[in-house]
Amino acid sequence: MIDREVVIGHELGLHARVSAKLVQLSSRFESRIRISRTDRVGMAEADARSILSILLLAAACGTRVRVSADGSDEEQAVFAVCEYLEGRADPRSGTE
Amino acid sequence: MTVVERRLTGVAASPGVALGHAVTSWDPEFVTLNYTLAPEDIESQVASLRESVEQSRRQLATMQGKLEQSVGGDSTTLIDAHLLILEDRMFVDRIVEKIREERINAEWAIQAVSNGILEAYDRVHDDYLRDRRGDLEDVVRRLLSHLRSYHPLTFDSLRYNSILVGHTILPLTLLELKSARLVGVVTETGGPLSHTGIIARSMNVPAVMGVTDVLPGLMSGELIIVDGDEGVVIRAPSEETLEDYRARVKEEVKTRRRRDRPTSAPCVTKDRISILLGSNINFKEEVDAAIANECEAVGLYRTEFDFYRDGSMPAEDRLVEDYSYVLSHAKTMWVNIRAVDAGMHGGLDGGTSAGARGLRFLLENRDLFKRQLRAIYRASVHGHARILLPFVSTLDELAEARQIDAEVRRLLTRGGIPFDDAVPMGVMIETPAAAQTCDLMASEADFMCLGTNDLIQYMFAVDRTDLASLQLYDPFHPAVLRVLKQVQSLVEPTGKPVVVCGELAADPYSAAVLLGLGYTRLSVNVGAYSRIKRMIRSVALGELRELAEALLKMRSRNRIEQRIRDTLAVGL
Repeated sequence: MIDREVVIGHELGLHARVSAKLVQLSSRFESRIRISRTDRVGMAEADARSILSILLLAAACGTRVRVSADGSDEEQAVFAVCEYLEGRADPRSGTE
Repeated sequence: MTVVERRLTGVAASPGVALGHAVTSWDPEFVTLNYTLAPEDIESQVASLRESVEQSRRQLATMQGKLEQSVGGDSTTLIDAHLLILEDRMFVDRIVEKIREERINAEWAIQAVSNGILEAYDRVHDDYLRDRRGDLEDVVRRLLSHLRSYHPLTFDSLRYNSILVGHTILPLTLLELKSARLVGVVTETGGPLSHTGIIARSMNVPAVMGVTDVLPGLMSGELIIVDGDEGVVIRAPSEETLEDYRARVKEEVKTRRRRDRPTSAPCVTKDRISILLGSNINFKEEVDAAIANECEAVGLYRTEFDFYRDGSMPAEDRLVEDYSYVLSHAKTMWVNIRAVDAGMHGGLDGGTSAGARGLRFLLENRDLFKRQLRAIYRASVHGHARILLPFVSTLDELAEARQIDAEVRRLLTRGGIPFDDAVPMGVMIETPAAAQTCDLMASEADFMCLGTNDLIQYMFAVDRTDLASLQLYDPFHPAVLRVLKQVQSLVEPTGKPVVVCGELAADPYSAAVLLGLGYTRLSVNVGAYSRIKRMIRSVALGELRELAEALLKMRSRNRIEQRIRDTLAVGL
C-alpha cells in the first residue's frame, strides 16, 4: 500500500461534478483507493468509488487530503488520482 | 442519545387525537409505506428493488444521450452523479442489506438508508454540500416511482395505527388508503379547507395541517401523536405524554361511539319542526356510509375524485357505472350529482386559482361536460338524480349550461337511449355574485345548494391554502351572518329549495345558527351526520330564531361566538 498527501485544487472543492469524475477515474484501477481528510473535519475517510462518501468528505478547495491505494496498480492509481485532485489534469475538459 | 419530546404546531384540520406510527411520504404522489416482510417475500422485494434501480439507470442514460446530442460535452456530468449514486455501494448494497436483515419492504429501506446519508450531510457545515441533498433526493424519488409501479398502494399494506405524514397529501391518496388502519394525517402544507382536510373530517380521521418542517429527520415507523383538537404533532413523546394521550384516545372512542351512533329517530327539533338532513359524499362507495346513517338525501356528491380516479379522462361507460352505483344504492333518496368542479389538471388542490373553475371550466371543456351529463342521464333510470352546477356566477353561464344540457338530452332521445327527462338542474351558490342574485338564480334553476366554504373564502378574499390569511376565514363574522340571512330572505319567496352543504353545516354550533336563520335543509359529511342530527333533536327552533335575531344585531365576532356557545352549551 502506498499513500500521498495532496491539496484540492478545484475551485469548488469536491462537489458533485468533480466527484463524479473522480469515481469514474478511480474505477479504472484494480486497486482499492481511499481518500481521507487529515484535518478531521467531515467524514474521516471516503471510498474513491463511492460518490456519496466522497461528497461527505466536504472537501473544499485548499483542503489537504491523503490518497492511499492498495493493489497491483497502486502506484499509477495514487499518481492519477492526486494529479486529478490537484486540478492539474485539466478539469475543464474532464479528461484526466 | 437522549431523545427529547418535540411539539410541532400546525392548524387543527380534523378533530380527535391519535397515536400511531408515522408513514412518511416523499412526494405528493408517492407515499412510502412501511411494513415488515414475511420471510418468503424478502427476495422478491430485493428483486423489485434491483429492477427499479435498473429502470432508473436506463431512464437516466436515455436522458443523458439526448442531452449529449442537444447540448454536448460537460453538461451531462450531473446525470453521471445520479448514475454513480445508483451504483454506489454505500447506497444500493446497504438498502439490500436492510431489506434482508431488518425484513422491511424496499420503500422503507430506501428511505432509511437515504435518511441516514442526508442526516450525515446535515451534520457537515458546508452550504454547498447541503444543497447537494437534492441529487440524492432526486435519485430516491426516481427509485420510488419505479417501485411504486410494482407495488401499487393499497390499504392492506398499511400497518395498523398508521399516521400518514407528507409535505402535501393528495385527496386521492387519502381515499386510496381509506381504512381502519389509517388513524391520523399530518401535512406540511394546506389547511382545514383543502380537499384533503375535508376528506379527513369526512373519514373521521384526526388531522393537523400546515406543520412546517415535520418531515426532516422523521423516520417511517416512528411513534408520533396527532392532536387534531389543538393542532399539534408530538414527536418522541415522553412516557407521561403517552399515558395522557392513551387516556384521551380511549375517552374519545367512547364519546364518538355515543355521539356518532346512527339514530333512526326522526330529524325533528324539540318543537316538532322537521329538518331535512342530507349527506355529502366524496366518492361513490361513500353512499353506503350515508345509507348506514339512515340519511334522507345526498345533498352533494362531489364527483371529481371518482372522475379523475384513473388519472385520465374517463370513458362514458365508466361514469355511467359510477353514477348507477350511487343512484341504485341511494334507492328512493335523491342525489345531487355535482358536475366536476375542477380547474386545471384535476385541480383538486383546494382551488386557489379561481380563473377557470366550476361551470366556467365546464363551459370551456364542453366535451368533458357533455360526457358527464350523458353519463348522469344514462344512469338516471336507476334512481333520483339531480344535476348540480358548481361555481355559477352569472345567469348567462347558467343559460349556456341549459343549452348544452338540452342538446345532450336531444341526442339521447334521438339515439333511443332511455333516461329520466325530468332530472332537475340546480346551482351552487358559492360566489358573492351568486349570493347577491340568488333570487334571479332561483328563477332559472330548480334548486340551490349553498356552498359556504367558497362563499366565505371569496367574501374575505382568503387563500384557502395560505395559512396566514386563513384566520380571516371566520364563520362567526357579522358579514357571514348577514349574507346567510340575505340569501335565505331572497330565496324564500321564490319557493325554491336551498340546501346548505358547506362545512358550516357540519359544525353543530354553526348549524344551529343556520336553522335559526331559517334554513331547513342541511347536508353534511358522513362523519358529522349523527352529531348534527343529535344537535337538531336537542334544540327548539323558536329559540334558535330568537338567537339568530340577536346575533344579527351584534358587532363583534367574539361576542357572537360567545353568545352562540352560551346559548347552546347543552348536548353538543
